[in-house]
Amino acid sequence: MEQFIYYLKVSFVSIKRAPLPYALTIFILSVGLGIFFANATFYYQLNSDPLPHKSSKLFFPMMLLAPYECTDCKPPAVLSYSNIEKLSQSDIPSAKTAMYSADGYLRKNAEQTPMPVNIRITQRDFFSMFDVPLLHGSVWPDNSARLEIILSKATAEKLFGRTDAVGEKLLLDDRHLTVTAVLDDWQMLPRLYDANNRNHLSPADDIYLPLETGYDMNYLSNTQSQTFDDTDYRKLSTQGRTGALNQLQYWVQLDTPTAQQAYKQFMANLAQDEKVAGRHPSEPNNQLVAMRNIVNYFGGESSDIKAFALVTLLFLLVCLFNASHLSLNRYLGNQYEFSLRRALGASRGQLQLQMLADVLLMAVFTIAGALLTGYAGIKLMNHLLPRNSLFSSWDLPLLLSLLAVAFICSYLVTLYPSLRASFGTLNQQLKE
Amino acid sequence: MITLTNLSKIFRTELIETHALRDINLQVNEGEFAALTGPSGSGKSTLLNILGTLENFDAGDYLLDGISVKGLSDAALSKLRNEKIGFIFQSFNLIKDFSIYDNIELPLRYRGLKASERKQRIEHALELVGLHARRDYLPGQLSGGQQQRVAIARAIAGQPRILLADEPTGNLDSLMARQVMELLEQINQQGCTILMVTHDPDQARRAGRHIQIIDGQLSDAVLYDPLAAQSA
Amino acid sequence: MSLYLLCKVLFSRKVVTALLLLQLAMTLALLLNSLLLAQQTQQQLNQPTGLDLDNTLLVQLKPTTAALRVYPALEELLNRQLDAVQAVPGVIAAAYSNQSVLLHGGNNGNIYVLEQQERTNVSTVPMYFVSKGFFNVLDSKVIQGELPQHSVSLDAPGSPDVVLTSSLADKLFAGTPAVGQQINRGRVAAVINDFYGQRSGDHIMYNSVQVAPPYGVDWGYSILLRTDPAQTESVRRQLASVLRNVESNIEIYHIRSLAEQHQHLYRNEYGLAMLLGVLSALMLLVTMVSSYSSTHFHALKRQQEIGIKRALGASKSLILLELLSENWLCTALGSMLGVALALWLNQALAQVISIPALNWYLPVITIAVLLLCVTVATWYPAATATRVSPATATKAL
Ligand SMILES: Nc1ncnc2c1ncn2[C@@H]1O[C@H](COP(=O)(O)OP(=O)(O)O)[C@@H](O)[C@H]1O
Ligand SMILES: [Mg+2]
Repeated sequence: MEQFIYYLKVSFVSIKRAPLPYALTIFILSVGLGIFFANATFYYQLNSDPLPHKSSKLFFPMMLLAPYECTDCKPPAVLSYSNIEKLSQSDIPSAKTAMYSADGYLRKNAEQTPMPVNIRITQRDFFSMFDVPLLHGSVWPDNSARLEIILSKATAEKLFGRTDAVGEKLLLDDRHLTVTAVLDDWQMLPRLYDANNRNHLSPADDIYLPLETGYDMNYLSNTQSQTFDDTDYRKLSTQGRTGALNQLQYWVQLDTPTAQQAYKQFMANLAQDEKVAGRHPSEPNNQLVAMRNIVNYFGGESSDIKAFALVTLLFLLVCLFNASHLSLNRYLGNQYEFSLRRALGASRGQLQLQMLADVLLMAVFTIAGALLTGYAGIKLMNHLLPRNSLFSSWDLPLLLSLLAVAFICSYLVTLYPSLRASFGTLNQQLKE
Repeated sequence: MITLTNLSKIFRTELIETHALRDINLQVNEGEFAALTGPSGSGKSTLLNILGTLENFDAGDYLLDGISVKGLSDAALSKLRNEKIGFIFQSFNLIKDFSIYDNIELPLRYRGLKASERKQRIEHALELVGLHARRDYLPGQLSGGQQQRVAIARAIAGQPRILLADEPTGNLDSLMARQVMELLEQINQQGCTILMVTHDPDQARRAGRHIQIIDGQLSDAVLYDPLAAQSA
Repeated sequence: MSLYLLCKVLFSRKVVTALLLLQLAMTLALLLNSLLLAQQTQQQLNQPTGLDLDNTLLVQLKPTTAALRVYPALEELLNRQLDAVQAVPGVIAAAYSNQSVLLHGGNNGNIYVLEQQERTNVSTVPMYFVSKGFFNVLDSKVIQGELPQHSVSLDAPGSPDVVLTSSLADKLFAGTPAVGQQINRGRVAAVINDFYGQRSGDHIMYNSVQVAPPYGVDWGYSILLRTDPAQTESVRRQLASVLRNVESNIEIYHIRSLAEQHQHLYRNEYGLAMLLGVLSALMLLVTMVSSYSSTHFHALKRQQEIGIKRALGASKSLILLELLSENWLCTALGSMLGVALALWLNQALAQVISIPALNWYLPVITIAVLLLCVTVATWYPAATATRVSPATATKAL
C-alpha cells in the first residue's frame, strides 16, 4: 500500500511536469464520455423494461373489426366499446383490462377553482396487471359503473394535504364521486400500457375512473377517437357503446405459451364469426402484440435518441483515439525516464504497477469530468427535446456501468502508450 | 571573404552572463583551409555558428563577401546559408527518416533547383565521397565514418564557397578520421574555403592556417600572417 | 516542400497518422450530417405557411365546468369571448375555431366528392368549425365563390357549406370549378388560398372550413386574432385577463403567436439539429486540440531536425509552411475518408430519421471549415517550433 502511494506520487509529479497535455487528455476524454453518458441515459431509460418479471406475459390484442372495406391494412390503433365487449368474453387471460385517458377538472366543492387532471378510464385488473402499488383503500371489486375514483398520491396530497383520502367526496367535472383508494408513488417508465401517439413518454395519470362510468359521463379520449360510421361522439353513453367509435386500448395477461396460442385461436374465431355476421367486410387481420414490442408496433421509437446514439458513439471513439494519441505523446516524452528507470533495475512488473497508478488517477479525473459533462448534456437535451425529460435520471446500475465504461476508457487510453514506452527495446531508447 | 571586426558574443541566462567571444578580429581569404583549435568551452563552436549565421552576435561586425550580415532578414540569411555555406557537424546531424539521397537533396530543394540538376549534383557528391552504392540506405544503417561522409556530400552538393566543420572527426576512429580529412583537403583544393574546429594537432598542422582561441579571444601567439607562414 | 517527402514524414508515424486521419474523417462525417439536418430544419421552418405568423395570435382554452361545455351555454360563451377580445385596441379581427392551424394532428377525417369516393378520397383532411371572422383573421383571399355569412348549427338539417383551400380543391376537382359541388362534408361554397393546417395530414395545405359552432370542446378550442403589427405585444399581454373577465371558469393552455406555434411544431427537429450542432462544435474543438497537440509534440521531437533544416538554408517561414502543409495534407486525406464516412453515416441516419441526401457543396464548405480550424490550431505550436535555435539543435551532446 505504501508502495502504491509512492507510485501515485510519481504519477502526480509526472503530471505536474507537463500539465497541459494531461489536462487536454482529461478534457477530451471527459467530453467524449460525458456526451456518451448523457445519451446513453436516455437510450437506457427509454428501452428499459418496466415490468421485467411479467412483460413477456402481457399482450395487446388488435383486430380489424371495423365496418369498412380495406385490403392489407393494419387494424385501427384503437378499439370500439363493442369490440372490447366481445374480446372480454374469453376466460383464457388471467387478467384483462380496457382503457383510455381523458382530461377533466377536479375539485373538492363548487367553491374551489377546478384543477385540471388527466384521467385514466379503465377497469379493475389494470392495477394488478401493471403492479400498481396501493397506499390506502381498495380497487373496485368489479368492472361495473360506480361513482368511485382512485387518486394518485400526488393528487390526494394536492387536494387534501394528506394521502389518506379514502371516503372523501369530490367533484369531477361537476359530478359527485367518492375516493375509494389512493395509490402509492407510481410512475411506470416507459409507460408501455399507453404507447399510442408516443404517450409512453408521458407521466402517470392523476386519477382513475371505471370504464363504464367514463362512458356514462361522456368522456372522449384525449389521445385518439375515431368513428367509422355516423356515431355521434357526443352520445358516448348510448351510441358510443354500440357504434364504431374507436378509442379503447386493451391488454390481456396470458401466462403460458399454451394460453397465448389459445387466445390467438379465440381471436381468429371471433374475427371469423364477425365476418360471417357481416359486421366487418375486410379480411381478418389479428395482431397479438407483446408488451416489449408495443412501442415499435405504434412506430413510437425515439428515433432522435437512436440517431444521436450512433453519433455519440462515433464521437466517443474519436475522443478515445484522440486521448490515446495525446497520452502516447506524453509517454513518449517521458520515455527516456522510463528507460532510465529500467536501466536502474525497475522490473516490468513494477513499471506496470506504476501504470496502474496512472490509470487510477486518470480514471478519477475522467469520471469526475464525464459526470459533470454528462449532467450538463442531459440538461441540454431536456431543454432541446423536452418530450424525453422523464427519462433523464440516473439509477444505480446505470451509474455503475457508466463508471465502468469510464474506467475502461481511461485504461485503454493509458495502456497502449505505456506498453510502447515500457516494452520498447531498452538500449535503443537510451541511445536515442 | 570573411571579415570579423571587434566581434563579441555574450550568452545571458537568468543566472550568469558568459562572454563566449570578445573582440574578435579575423580575416579569412578565399581558398584558405583554416584549423580552429582551443580548449573546450573556449568559444570555437560559437565562432563557427556565428560565421554560419546560425547565431547572432552582440557587438562588432561580420562582413561576408563585403556585405554585413547584421541587418539581414531571416529569409535573406537562410538564402545566404543555403547558397554560400556548408556545414559539417561532429554528430553528423543527418535526418533519420530520410534516405541518404533525400538527405543530400534537401538543401538543393531549398534552393529550388530543377530535379535533373539536383540529381546530377547528388550523384556527383556521392561519387566524391564514395557512397554511390548506399544512396537508398537510411543514416542509421551506416557506420559513423560513412555518415560523416554523407554529411560532407550534403554540405558540398550545393557547391558552397565556405565549408564550416565543427570537430568533423570527433566521433570517428583514426582511420575514418584520416579518410574524412583527405576528403576535406580534396574539397579545399577545388577552391572551397574551409574552417574546421579540431582537437587533433596533426590535423591542425595539415591545415594551411592555424587559428587558436582561448577564453573567447584569438590568441596573439598564433595570430600570424598566412603569407608569411607560407614563405617560411 | 515536396509532396513525396511530406507523405514520407506522415507515413513514418503510422499509428499517429492513422488515428489523426480517422478522427478527421469522423469529424467531417458528423459535421456534414449535422449541417444537413440543420439545413433541413431551416428549410422546414422557412417553408411558406400562407399565414401572417407574426401578427396572428392564438389562444388555446377550455371551460373548466361541464355546464359551460354544452349548448346553448357554450355558444353564448364563445360569442361573449369574441366580443370582448374584438374590443381590445389593436385587434383587427377575431374568430373562434374548434382547433388551431399549424398543428401536428387534430380533428380530421376523410373527404371525397359525393358519388366519386373511390376516385377522389383524401383520407386525412383537418375539419375546422369556425366563426365567420375566421377568414378575416387569416386574411384569406377568395379564389372562387363566396364565403358563408352565417353560422349554421351542425345539427341543423343539411350540413353547413364548406370552404376549401385551393390545393385541396385542385386535388378533388382537378381544375374544374369546385363551387356548388357536393362533397361528403357539404356543398362547396368557396375556395380560398392555402394555409398550413396539420403536419400529419395528407398534405399540409389541405383544409376544409365550415362556419358552425363546434360539436363539443372536449379537447378545448382556439381563439385566433389578427392584430395591428404595432400593438401585437400589448394585445397579447391583455388577452388572459380580458378572457378571464368574461368568464373565470376557463383554463388557458397557452397564448402564442403563430410564429411560436410554428416553431413549436418543429421543436423536435430543431432540438436534434441543435444537439448535433453542439456536438459538431465539440468535435471541431477536439480536432483542434488534437492538431495542436500533434504538432506540438511532433515539433518537440523534431527540434533537431528543424535545426538541421534551418542550418541547410530553410527559412522560418518555410519551416512553418512545412509543418502546416503536413497538417493540410493530413486534413485533405482525412477529408476524403470523411466524405466516404459521411455518405455511410447519412445512410445510417436515414434509417432512423428523415435527413436529406448529401449534396456537393456542403462537403466543400465543411472541408474548408475543417482546414481553417486545423490551420488555426497548428499555427501557434508550429510558429513556436520555427524559433528553435539551429545552433543549439545541431550541437553535439
Ligand atoms: N546556448 C548557450 N547558452 C549559454 N551559454 C552557452 C551557450 N552555448 C555556449 N555557451 C557557453 O559559451 C562558451 C563557449 O562555448 P562553445 O563555443 O560551445 O565552446 P567550444 O569551444 O567547446 O565549442 C562556453 O562557456 C559555453 O558554456
Ligand atoms: Mg564545441
